[in-house]
Amino acid sequence: MKRRTMLGAVAAGAMFAFAPGAHAQQVNLNVMTAGDQNMVDYITEYLGPMFEKANPGVKVRAVGTGPGDAGSQRIWERLEAQKKAGAAAVDVDVAVVHQKMAGMMVKDGLLAKYRGQVSTGSMATNDVTKNALGVNVDGYVIPMFNSQIAIAYNPDKVKTPPASYDDLVAFAAANPKRFGHNGIRGGMSGVGFVFGWLYAYAPQPAKLIDGPYDDATVASLTPALQKMKAFNGNVTITPGNAGTLDALNRGEIDMGPVWMDMFYSWQADGKLSPNLKLTLLKTGLPGQPMYYVVPEKAANAAVARKFVELATSPQVQAKGIVERFNWLPGIDANHVQQFLDKKVWDKLFKDVPPDMLKAMGKPMPQSDYFTKIQEQYEKIVLN
Amino acid sequence: MGPNRNISILLTVPALVVVALLFIYPLGFSLVGAFQDKAGAWTLGNFGRAWDLYRLDTAFTVVIVLVSCALIAFFSVAIGGYLTLGESRVAKAILNFVYRWPLFIPFIVAAQCMRTFIARNGMMNMTLVYFGILDLDQVQGFLDWRGIVFTFVWKQTPFVALMVAGAMAGLDRATIEAARNLGASRLRILVEIVVPQVSRTLAVGLVLSFVTMMSVLSVPLMLSGQSPSMLTVNMAWRINSVGDYGTANALGFVSYLMTGFAAWFYLRHGMRERAGR
Amino acid sequence: MSAALRWPLRAVLLGLAVFVIFGPLANLLIWSVAEAWFWPNKLPSQWGFRFWEVVFRPTGRAMESLWLSVWIALLTTAASLALSIPAGYALARGRLPWRPVVLLLFLMPQAFPSLPVYINIAQIFFAFDLNGTVPGVVLVHTVHGLVYSVWIATAAFAAIEPELEQAARNMGAGAPRTFFEVTLPLAAPGLVASAIFVFLESLDEFTGSFFVGAPEVRTLPLLLYNAAAGGNIQIASISALILLVPSVAFMLLVERFLKGEVMAKLGR
Repeated sequence: MKRRTMLGAVAAGAMFAFAPGAHAQQVNLNVMTAGDQNMVDYITEYLGPMFEKANPGVKVRAVGTGPGDAGSQRIWERLEAQKKAGAAAVDVDVAVVHQKMAGMMVKDGLLAKYRGQVSTGSMATNDVTKNALGVNVDGYVIPMFNSQIAIAYNPDKVKTPPASYDDLVAFAAANPKRFGHNGIRGGMSGVGFVFGWLYAYAPQPAKLIDGPYDDATVASLTPALQKMKAFNGNVTITPGNAGTLDALNRGEIDMGPVWMDMFYSWQADGKLSPNLKLTLLKTGLPGQPMYYVVPEKAANAAVARKFVELATSPQVQAKGIVERFNWLPGIDANHVQQFLDKKVWDKLFKDVPPDMLKAMGKPMPQSDYFTKIQEQYEKIVLN
Repeated sequence: MGPNRNISILLTVPALVVVALLFIYPLGFSLVGAFQDKAGAWTLGNFGRAWDLYRLDTAFTVVIVLVSCALIAFFSVAIGGYLTLGESRVAKAILNFVYRWPLFIPFIVAAQCMRTFIARNGMMNMTLVYFGILDLDQVQGFLDWRGIVFTFVWKQTPFVALMVAGAMAGLDRATIEAARNLGASRLRILVEIVVPQVSRTLAVGLVLSFVTMMSVLSVPLMLSGQSPSMLTVNMAWRINSVGDYGTANALGFVSYLMTGFAAWFYLRHGMRERAGR
Repeated sequence: MSAALRWPLRAVLLGLAVFVIFGPLANLLIWSVAEAWFWPNKLPSQWGFRFWEVVFRPTGRAMESLWLSVWIALLTTAASLALSIPAGYALARGRLPWRPVVLLLFLMPQAFPSLPVYINIAQIFFAFDLNGTVPGVVLVHTVHGLVYSVWIATAAFAAIEPELEQAARNMGAGAPRTFFEVTLPLAAPGLVASAIFVFLESLDEFTGSFFVGAPEVRTLPLLLYNAAAGGNIQIASISALILLVPSVAFMLLVERFLKGEVMAKLGR
């Protein structure tokens, strides 16, 4: 019996050698991306083939790690585990992560300071390139895109779109369950909606964004969160960013917070009724970029930098980020606009004009507040 | 007449080693982690936070799983009972063909099916509206804890029904026939004669289902990640989004206590019966 | 109840069962060919195979993932059987001290929510270079599948009449010969049943595959989950249908082995 088991083990070992996926003789560039499926699509369908064509012998492998900060967290976990195990080189070459985790990765020394080594690095100069939710990330990140959370509504059912959170509360009271959001466990559009709520109802909203952190400010959020609990009694809670869009499309809700880029992409794809419209609320809704980062010990660091260089080049930012996927560009707009029709550029601002975006688009809270707010939400709103 | 004590141990060792190395050992890490804070000092703070944030979900997890178990028990006895006592050969054949299907559907596929099937304007409600059973204004979605129960029952009933029907088929027909001749109704035969004899099989099926439901992440995550939800969702959230392994491990500890209790209850019962035989 | 009412009642109940069981699957099928489906349309306003083409285009990698998933499931099944046949035999026939505890031990990987465990496994695996490899994923799936294979194998061996083995021994056959020529063939249907569960369990597995397998090993559930979470209902539906193909094929192949009589002895 024992020998049989051993023979079996040897046979199994031999079989592993022929397993699919065990190709050799080429550079596999592992790109791990957090976020929704559109992030993976962007790399597998657009960026990857373009890069492979320009660099023979390189194969781009994109892996999606899931929506929201959870997706970024998984990338952090992977890097951290390999660091703990003392790996000489990590198996993630390029990662696309959210702000909160980018800050944490920089603090933990998991990332390479590569922006200066990439020719497009100087084209990104906006605030988020240097500061990720209160953490200095200057040099470690280049924004892939910027995006904004907005309120999507069905104009057939919502005659006057809400201008403020108070209007929303009134709408939900008059139309129970016709407003929907995805809370804080199901993707960032819901998280951002909650932050926007606090920007409207917290006693010191500016402190959440600019700091400094103190426990008293967190405690002062309790009444606003209790108000949210009452509000949630009148709304539908959807499963995730996509869940809100889907519920809108299926007529299950008439209004809800969504990512602007997903909204436009779904409309372009026939997955969302073309009637639906977007708006922002007076006290502001948050937006955020996603960052390209290169891990400190990336196995193919040089190829990785080349990849980011292509991804942040003005042409790709214009054709890929803006035209194809409806994101706001990651590098500065003046570099990008020249490669685009005015019509395409204006499409981004169809429902939400640039001045509205400027006035009502806010950053997310600083990361300490970010975490605490999530916990307080679970404690106060969900129990 | 089987292998003696030493050979028995030897035969079990390879499987045990695999479980020990790849499960017990990492599990030990995580159990220890339930009682440690981020710096590695001993604490009960993780359980405090778990209680603070997730006591409602803990209760709901128990409710969801127990309600599912009760429904699974009901439907599997009904299916097994009809297959054993039913009179129409044709109806039995159809039922026998139909009921097993969900057994072969992976959980993640089941969750994907249900997401669109039982949504407010999903196919189930639309069909009911089409037949005039429901009015379009009355429809409601089930993408919450009810959807989780629905999916669990849908997926696990065939598993238990298969076991129960097998046990029922192996019963002595003479008692059943005798009871029929005395004029007992089929329902009474099922409840008073058949079910008591297959209760152990039913219990094993339910324990396995209980345990499976406690550890499935995809179904509650895809159907409803909101509160009230299940502990698996909270654990995934704690680890994935907050990076808080301590609380996640504490929640794991709680859910292990639950499943351990269920399994131990069954095994004790089984041992007593064995001893009494 | 009058005999005249029986068939209508049966028809209604059976119809209900068919609707509840196949409705969700039909729904999946419709979504896979829906190109546009806005409320309040009861059915898609545009039908077509556009999303099938998206899934099957070379960059979609669905087929590659499918074969990989099946391959991993087959290896997992083989490994589980190799471990569970001796263990199940000893548990059913042998004199094993602490037998209930051992049975409980195999239940643990199913019982304890696996997420925190997988993260620790991933850390251990880095030391052995098993992360991102097929053997690593197979090992993780095997542990998870052992509960089914050991419990069912135990039930299968327990279901064999000891007299048959005794008779073979009386005729002069040695213990190994008795095992391979009498016991094993008799237990085969039950063992095949256990193989079905392990195979399906492996095909379905998501969490462990992600922590141990990604990015090199991309199983179909990984693709499916990403599509579902991203709200690509069509892509998720198509991936789900593809995932059903091996399950159903496996079922048709081995369903006759799935005997209720063996299943009824589970856990004894």
